[in-house]
Amino acid sequence: MNFLGYKRPDGKVGVRNHIAIIPSVVCASEVCIAIARKVKGTVAIPHPHGCAQLPFDAEQTARTLIGVGKNPNVAAVLVIGLGCEVVDPFLIASKIAESDKLVKSLIIQEVGGTLKTVKEGTRMARAMWSEASRFKRERVDLDSLILGVECGGSDACSGLSANPALGVASDLLIKEGGTVILSETTESIGAEHILAKRAINKKVKERILEIVRRTESRALNLGLDIGKANPAPGNIRGGITTLEEKSLGCILKGGSSRIMEVLEYAEAPAQKGLVLMDTPGHDAESVTGLIAGGAQIIAFTTGRGTPVGSPIAPVIKISTNSHLYSKMKDNIDIDAGEIITGDKTVQEVGEKIFREVLRVASGRLTKSEILGHREFAINRIGPSF
Amino acid sequence: MKPIDADRKIILSHPTDNVATAKSEIQPETILFLPKGRKIEVREEIPFGHKVCLRTIPKGGPVIKYGERIGRAIRTIRPGELVHIHNVVGERGKSQSKNKG
Repeated sequence: MNFLGYKRPDGKVGVRNHIAIIPSVVCASEVCIAIARKVKGTVAIPHPHGCAQLPFDAEQTARTLIGVGKNPNVAAVLVIGLGCEVVDPFLIASKIAESDKLVKSLIIQEVGGTLKTVKEGTRMARAMWSEASRFKRERVDLDSLILGVECGGSDACSGLSANPALGVASDLLIKEGGTVILSETTESIGAEHILAKRAINKKVKERILEIVRRTESRALNLGLDIGKANPAPGNIRGGITTLEEKSLGCILKGGSSRIMEVLEYAEAPAQKGLVLMDTPGHDAESVTGLIAGGAQIIAFTTGRGTPVGSPIAPVIKISTNSHLYSKMKDNIDIDAGEIITGDKTVQEVGEKIFREVLRVASGRLTKSEILGHREFAINRIGPSF
Repeated sequence: MKPIDADRKIILSHPTDNVATAKSEIQPETILFLPKGRKIEVREEIPFGHKVCLRTIPKGGPVIKYGERIGRAIRTIRPGELVHIHNVVGERGKSQSKNKG
């Protein structure tokens, strides 16, 4: 099986052809937005980080920005720095350039302020778009596809309809040689024994148990219940009673394959097949980690209804129940609620999701893209200083 | 995982579960037909997507969904009752002081 994608110089394949305008620090965000407004094909990736961060936290921010730039959905990158920040814009630009794509950078303090940087950046971005527009879609194998799976605004149907159906789609993609990243460590708490059993080896098994332990103890060391944040009030109104119940439903999205490796937040997989990434339950932070890890498409199930998208990856929304689908049709691409009503089987909806993933990979726009949803949030692991 | 259609009003996700999920709102006194010819009477309104108890769960006993433990009953829960945060507590991600009892 194959799809139509953009072959990049490093051999990876994009499903979109964006020019990313990436600020290394919050102070450069508005300049990026101003440039992106002027040049077709560009997308600004504003964020509130990049300075006054402790080394481990700054490193995670840098890894995320580098990963977003390296994502094959991005044809070329313009990095805008301020000039005095912790996260080094030249390091970000040079690491992204390892993927052999066109990368340029500008420093606001060197160029001489907002207006001059916007002017110079606009000129550069225009030249980049001209270069990037030469990429054409070609037929490529599915083994170049990385699908990130996510759930947000879950309800008690999530684990009975949309998540197991997405699990079927995950298994189908992996059978074709592709890769699936399962994430949201918080929502593995209480289900980690099932994931650990599917680890490819002892080392991966230990890592699965370790990331879950690390997440759980992070909250407990603060003397707080994770239950204050997760399950969220809407999850509970949707019928989810405990974190364990949410987790057991959540992990079904990954399907039934062996788990090949465990990734840090925003780390790119070295293996194909099913891999696990350590991200929080926060949807936008988790999706950001997945795309920074190289996922070209996100399949996102929801029971309560969420519009969250991504600046560089199509996000396919799958409703767990038909009430939601009829209420938020503008946001939902596929309804898995037909499993609950008994009109379709898990297998049937899973195959439908898989077909939709292939169509979207070949260029079909998702509702989140059409509506312009570009939520982007880097997971912070330390306070500002 | 393939849900077991015990009754058209509920979904049972695993044969060992002691709760099932309502496929639509279920009214009190509704009779639910379970595998092996068992039937139970619903005792209170079960909203869409919420759980109904299928077998008596003693105080402190495990609540089972997906064939796995999802929490502990904080009082005896009888068949036909709504199973939710008023009678079940999760056991993970809890600070020590609240993990007792």
